[in-house]
Amino acid sequence: MKEQVLEQAPKKIKQIQFGVLSPQEIVNVSEFEVTQRDLYTVQDRQPVKYGMLDLRLGTSDKIASCETCGLKQQDCIGHFAHIRLCLPVFHIGYFRAAIVILQNICKTCSRVLLSEKDRRTYLRKLRAPNLENLTRKNVCKAINDKCKKVIHCPYCEGINGTVKKAGALRIVHEKFRSKKVADEYEKFKSTFSHALEAAPEMKAHISKAQEDMNPLRVLNLFKAITDEDCELLGMNPDLGRPEMYLWQNISVPPVCIRPSVQQDGASNEDDITVKLTEVIFTNAHMQAGLNQGIAILNLMDLWDFLQLSVAMYINSELPGVSNLQPGKPVRGFCQRLKGKQGRFRGNLSGKRVDFSGRTVISPDPNLRIDQVAVPELVAKNLTYPERVTSHNIERLRQAIANGTEIHPGANYVTLGSNNMKKSLKFGNRAQIAGEIQVGDVVERHLNDGDVVLFNRQPSLHKLSIMAHYAKIRPWRTFRFNECVCNPYNADFDGDEMNLHVPQTEEARTEAIELMGVKNNLVTPRNGTPLIAAIQDFITASYLITQKDLFFDRSQFVQICSYLGDAELKIDIPPPAILKPAQRWTGKQIISVLLKPNKESKVLVNLEAKTRSYDKVKRPVMDMCRNDGYLVIHNSEIMCGVLDKSIVGDGNKSSLFYIVMRDYGSIEAAKCMNRLAKLCARWLGTVGFSIGINDVQPGEILASKKDELVKNAYAHCDDLIHRSLNGQLENQPGCDIEQTLEALISGELSQVRDKVGDICLTELNKYNSPLIMATCGSKGSKINVSQMVACVGQQIISGKRIPNGFQDRSLPHFLKNSKVPPAKGFVRNSFYSGLTPTEFFFHAVSGREGLVDTAVKTAETGYMQRRLMKALEDLTTHYDLSVRNSVGAIIQFTYGSDGLDPAVLEGNGIPVLFDRNFVSTLHMLPPTEDDKKLLPWQINEYAEKEVASSRWAKNCSKEFILAVVTFVKTHIAGKLKIIREAYGMMSGEHNPGEEYEDMDIDEEEPEEVKRIVNNKLTVTERQMERFMYVCWDKFMKAKIEPASAVGAVGAQSIGEPGTQMTLKTFHFAGVASMNITLGVPRIREIINAAKAIATPIITTRLVNNTDVKAARIVKGRIEKTMLGDIAEFIEEVYKPDECYIGVRLDMEAIRRLQLETDLDEVAKAIGLEPKLKIGTNNVQSHKPDRLRIYVQSKDPAGLYYSIKKLKRALPEIIIKGLPQVNRAVINEIQGSGGKKELLVEGYGLRELMNTEGVVGTQTRSNHVMEVWKVLGIEAARRTILDEIKSVMDSHGLTIDPRHVMLLGDIMTSKGEVLGITRFGIAKMKDSVMMLASFEKTTDHLFEAALYSKKDAIEGVSECIIMGIPMSIGTGLFKLIKRDSAHDRIPPRRRLLFDP
Amino acid sequence: MEPEEEEPEEMEPELMEEEFDANGNVIPRKDKVDIGKPTNFALPPKAVAKEDRTTTPYMTKYERARVLGARALQISMNAPVLVDLEGETDSLNIAMKELNNKMIPLVVRRYLPDNTYEDWEVSEMILP
Repeated sequence: MKEQVLEQAPKKIKQIQFGVLSPQEIVNVSEFEVTQRDLYTVQDRQPVKYGMLDLRLGTSDKIASCETCGLKQQDCIGHFAHIRLCLPVFHIGYFRAAIVILQNICKTCSRVLLSEKDRRTYLRKLRAPNLENLTRKNVCKAINDKCKKVIHCPYCEGINGTVKKAGALRIVHEKFRSKKVADEYEKFKSTFSHALEAAPEMKAHISKAQEDMNPLRVLNLFKAITDEDCELLGMNPDLGRPEMYLWQNISVPPVCIRPSVQQDGASNEDDITVKLTEVIFTNAHMQAGLNQGIAILNLMDLWDFLQLSVAMYINSELPGVSNLQPGKPVRGFCQRLKGKQGRFRGNLSGKRVDFSGRTVISPDPNLRIDQVAVPELVAKNLTYPERVTSHNIERLRQAIANGTEIHPGANYVTLGSNNMKKSLKFGNRAQIAGEIQVGDVVERHLNDGDVVLFNRQPSLHKLSIMAHYAKIRPWRTFRFNECVCNPYNADFDGDEMNLHVPQTEEARTEAIELMGVKNNLVTPRNGTPLIAAIQDFITASYLITQKDLFFDRSQFVQICSYLGDAELKIDIPPPAILKPAQRWTGKQIISVLLKPNKESKVLVNLEAKTRSYDKVKRPVMDMCRNDGYLVIHNSEIMCGVLDKSIVGDGNKSSLFYIVMRDYGSIEAAKCMNRLAKLCARWLGTVGFSIGINDVQPGEILASKKDELVKNAYAHCDDLIHRSLNGQLENQPGCDIEQTLEALISGELSQVRDKVGDICLTELNKYNSPLIMATCGSKGSKINVSQMVACVGQQIISGKRIPNGFQDRSLPHFLKNSKVPPAKGFVRNSFYSGLTPTEFFFHAVSGREGLVDTAVKTAETGYMQRRLMKALEDLTTHYDLSVRNSVGAIIQFTYGSDGLDPAVLEGNGIPVLFDRNFVSTLHMLPPTEDDKKLLPWQINEYAEKEVASSRWAKNCSKEFILAVVTFVKTHIAGKLKIIREAYGMMSGEHNPGEEYEDMDIDEEEPEEVKRIVNNKLTVTERQMERFMYVCWDKFMKAKIEPASAVGAVGAQSIGEPGTQMTLKTFHFAGVASMNITLGVPRIREIINAAKAIATPIITTRLVNNTDVKAARIVKGRIEKTMLGDIAEFIEEVYKPDECYIGVRLDMEAIRRLQLETDLDEVAKAIGLEPKLKIGTNNVQSHKPDRLRIYVQSKDPAGLYYSIKKLKRALPEIIIKGLPQVNRAVINEIQGSGGKKELLVEGYGLRELMNTEGVVGTQTRSNHVMEVWKVLGIEAARRTILDEIKSVMDSHGLTIDPRHVMLLGDIMTSKGEVLGITRFGIAKMKDSVMMLASFEKTTDHLFEAALYSKKDAIEGVSECIIMGIPMSIGTGLFKLIKRDSAHDRIPPRRRLLFDP
Repeated sequence: MEPEEEEPEEMEPELMEEEFDANGNVIPRKDKVDIGKPTNFALPPKAVAKEDRTTTPYMTKYERARVLGARALQISMNAPVLVDLEGETDSLNIAMKELNNKMIPLVVRRYLPDNTYEDWEVSEMILP
């Protein structure tokens, strides 16, 4: 059974200290020294004493018991042994570190190679209190850089050269590399003279002789390092001295972590065991050799082999070491920890759980939205431990009596008296049932009303796991209301979902309170409703609210009874038509749905355009011909139909959203329950289906479509013809080919749209696909027209079908044919059938879609994981600041206004004044004795109200200003205008105290007063209510302390990534100026990539009206190469000289308005950095000739030099910014012909300083460049803007607060850090968190090397350690109130008490 | 998927340069703490007086969930109930009833990032 959350745990882990065991400590923890190589004795197959499987290490077989502690396999925790190595070897995890240390110290005296002055400087830095990891790393890097340059040790004058890796596990010291020590080198070489005499063939190899830093030498050097020097190496001498990072003794882990598997007589040993036996064997061999003498070559071979074995034992994936035994790879310790299935991610961050189930899902509209139907079979296996109390004892007794096989039963009983657990599968259940007492715990079956967590993978946002109430039902599937499909992104084509049962009272309470479906109706991404009607529910709502639908009394009452399960009290409204017969409309059903009876307080007031609103301008919008304007007045539908925009998701003017905002989520859920039942049942009786006649085009439709296609083909032919004749004017920044493509694509995409429009008008009103497309339940206009009329142009990666054969897409067409059918235009509809070529094209573009989704899911999944790791520990604190787990401030106020994106009514504002005001007016109609306010009274009321302490103390200035402004302009102002229009006194100003009570309208005729009152009356009661609603909603919109804003933000940015489809997107207005969009672009931004695919700088021009001026600026920016302006470049060979002659096209220079002349060109050529021509080798001869002389020492090479130079010359940049690829003049949309310049490429700084460009209004989409040029704040702004623009282009809305948080975390360190493993490692100090992210073992080794500590404060660390984290319900503590306040009543006196 | 990506080239570590006097000795910086072992900042948090409390009087949803959970647990373990049961048996529902009647005898201790805490009695908090 799960434990309750203990506040006062007996012991608390304060921190984790990383480090290594010293050789002595290894011996101390060890039981014995392993010396025997064999595992089992030959005679009786028992573990060998002093072997790897000695029983003193614990046991992996079920019968034997441990010889150290005497416990059985399940209970023995295992014991260590050790192997004493006769010679030290390198530890592969610290091999790099060993090299760095060797680089830092003198290879003679072991001192760090720093002068006394430097030592003190660096030591001071390293000893700073609370040193950050990042700073320490930088200091160590600086020390290393400095030490590498030192040749003579400042202490012993010893020579030090380069220390580097040679081969997989060998370090070499190139002592005499520097020329300064040539003398010593000679001396060194001369030491070989004696050897050379003996073996003269060695001479050639002498120069290769280097100092070999074998582990023994290294060990001795390390041992000699002083403690103070250890600090300079970044280490902590108290916890980990350098020599501890070499292997001297190897600790042998207990058997239980490397169990042997017994398999029919033979045993299978773990890789760890195998590797260690290898080590023991080699070690013993070496020891014997050392004792008895052995050839030095053999000893070195053995030592190398030992070295390799020990390395493989730790990390079996060594680069540069081929696996000796091909076949299955060895699993070293690093492999156990690493990767998705490794210890960190597979067992510590996420664990296998009990009390969970998984099965196929199916829909059930008769369930409430917060319920899930659990099959009885599942319910009998999942249990909840319920403690027996006096009021549930009878129920639990019955459960025990029922046992494990009958449903409301129980599986186990734990007696409170002795903690004995009894299974109810066997034994006398009746007796156990009779004997249970208060305090026992019964593991009873899952029951109706139990809280369960329900989840579908991929869990991309917090709404992918929600708490439902269980409802035990027969059969085999989990069932839930279709309204809840959206948050899980579930459908019923075979999806499976998971279910978990929280096991404690606290867990289930927190689950239902925080994760309950009813508390998660809206997505925190942008505050729009996510749980809403879908598909058939929308269709049914649309059909039932049609204008021409009438019911007689019996029908109406029947439909009303669909709303509930006979538990709902319904007051039938009066019929809409009384004569000639009583008739009710379908809209009245919805009215009943919203407010079923007079007791219900739900008064919805809503005016909204629906999808079918015809966009015709007219004085009153509710006269829409399609009935497309919905007006709901006090829960009664006046006009309009319900469709996706009203009952569907993703819209803040949705009906359920209004109910939720004004009457709470419980009412909204109830309405949704009623709608689900009504729609399912009603649509079930009237029927809604699709047949072949729904996709047959009528005659008119067919002919109109043919006409359209024919015209389009003709137009395309014309375009092709004109382009062949060169009559087509190029679009800005495009060549002929691109222009033609752009025009044809535009023409053809229009065809599909037009055909779609015709479908909408020509198809029957009762056409099912059309109904579904218009009400938004499924499919779109395009889908309908593809079935009925024309499939349209097929596209891959934004272009028409490319050529798969030579110069043509398919061999059915002529070569180089550009006509629509040859490039993938499908003229037929799915009904008429596709021709073979069309079918092929369709399959091509279908395939692209599939590939794109497959690639995208992997990419977004990884992006989401990184975002989550970077942002997971950000929370709002009680002082409303946003901080990370170590307390560093990320934002002073969340989102700069402290409002919660999930509770905002409007777009970024907490209250929609207009709707709330109208709603108030309708809900509180003026009565006789209400005081009707004049404009000045309204203003005064509002001002008095906002001055009150509850407003002044709690509300932001912006909000108060917004309220007052609204009251002034939209209430008082409106009333004033109406009054003046009818010739009444405006009543705008306070007439002064003595006249205050006078009725200024006394003189006005009664009719006028009535008209004005009809138009707008504001009473004091209404004002009071309105002001209260505004205040209340603002208070609720404030972000709550302890919210996990980071996690929610990460999900809100990551989750929409999966919905982005198209990869690239055309720049508005400018053809061919592509910008990367979608997932790749988001990735670029959050990776803080240095090189991005499409860097674009947008500039404003000083003169933004004149195209000529713009061209001049463009000329200054775009690079002009010599080849562009040269008429010719020729080689000239004369008897006395030879040179390259260039003639410039001065006319072209003039026409292009390039501000350059002959001399400047000459200078540019002379100063070209790569060719190194030199200005004096370039002669200019007016008016347009240049001579470039080539200096060559070698006359034979002159010819080739000239040839080479001639090839390079056209590429020389004469004018413009070299990093800019091109610039395009663009007309700013909706500005009346104003121009701006779009520049593709880098060079923001140079561009801003170009004459003619407004530097202050230049923006780049390259975050890193903006950071370098304009600073960190500008970089943050760019991140925000760029993410917003990507999301907008895909029609996704994200609350700016989420993006702000991302921008802030990326820039909070003062440099732009990407959300990558490098950036995250710089953001966080926690070893556990970094290890659970990526590069697990690298982080662990580093932590041990520098003796790091982990205080276990962040989310990842707490999960790994199983400690409650300080987010959400963990930020505060609960204290029992001290006894003085104890209100526990005294025990009641009983009758027989003395 | 963890595509191997090139590590962006490291920026030059920016180190604060030490200042030296004429003899090459380090001039101690005034804003820097002198050489020494890190001090332990984990002091026990301090209480804020009742009248000086600054945090919201509203009970957050997390506090509500935790309070209800803790109380429901107590009730499920046979703690005396402080309201009329009116036939209610579910411990969570009883806890909710107690909360609505402001009868839960618990105190919420809110920790602020400056190492102080405020004590709020559940009964004095405003329910959302």
